[in-house]
Amino acid sequence: MDWQLVGISFITVFLAEIGDKSQLAAIALGGSSNNPRAVFIGSTIALILASFLGVLAGGAVAQFLPEKLLKSLAAIGFATMALRILWVGGESED
Amino acid sequence: METSDSQSFEPKEKTQPIAIQPNQQQQNNFWVVFSSTFITIFLAEMGDKTQLVTLLMSAESQAPWVVFTGAALALIATSLIGVSIGYWLSKKLSPETLDLSVAILLLIITTWLVSDVLSL
Repeated sequence: MDWQLVGISFITVFLAEIGDKSQLAAIALGGSSNNPRAVFIGSTIALILASFLGVLAGGAVAQFLPEKLLKSLAAIGFATMALRILWVGGESED
Repeated sequence: METSDSQSFEPKEKTQPIAIQPNQQQQNNFWVVFSSTFITIFLAEMGDKTQLVTLLMSAESQAPWVVFTGAALALIATSLIGVSIGYWLSKKLSPETLDLSVAILLLIITTWLVSDVLSL
């Protein structure tokens, strides 16, 4: 195992992700849910799977993935969660 | 043997539904929270910066799985930090303030994604 390369990719990805969308999402969902462990596991698996597909697909990702559509769906998902919290008061009530 | 077993369980069964409910609710809650988190974050991350970084580094290095290991560890770390911050804040803020700030944060992410989509 090339530990230097592990370190370099760790630092690069770590710095890219700090304060990024998905970390903000982890903060928001981890704070609002009464099950932060589920948020942690869900977000970790989603992120790892996304980068796994990145490694698998090499340069071809952009060609077969309708990124616009995926991000639009994600935007709808986050907006729905936000509105639901404003509307019904979220899950933190119980 | 079997009949005596089921007979001896009968009185228990009457109390069981009450005892099981909170546990089952928690389990349902786990999968609801897990899947909504997973789906939204996965969709948001596909084709995103991090995925591209991982992709380029692994293509360049000739050792894609080493890069993947580093990237996966970094993603675990940032998720853990994020969820911990959220959990910590949820203990500090009042429920009303928390709901409002979570909603605002989620709307910020929505705006961010929409601007990503528009600039594609």
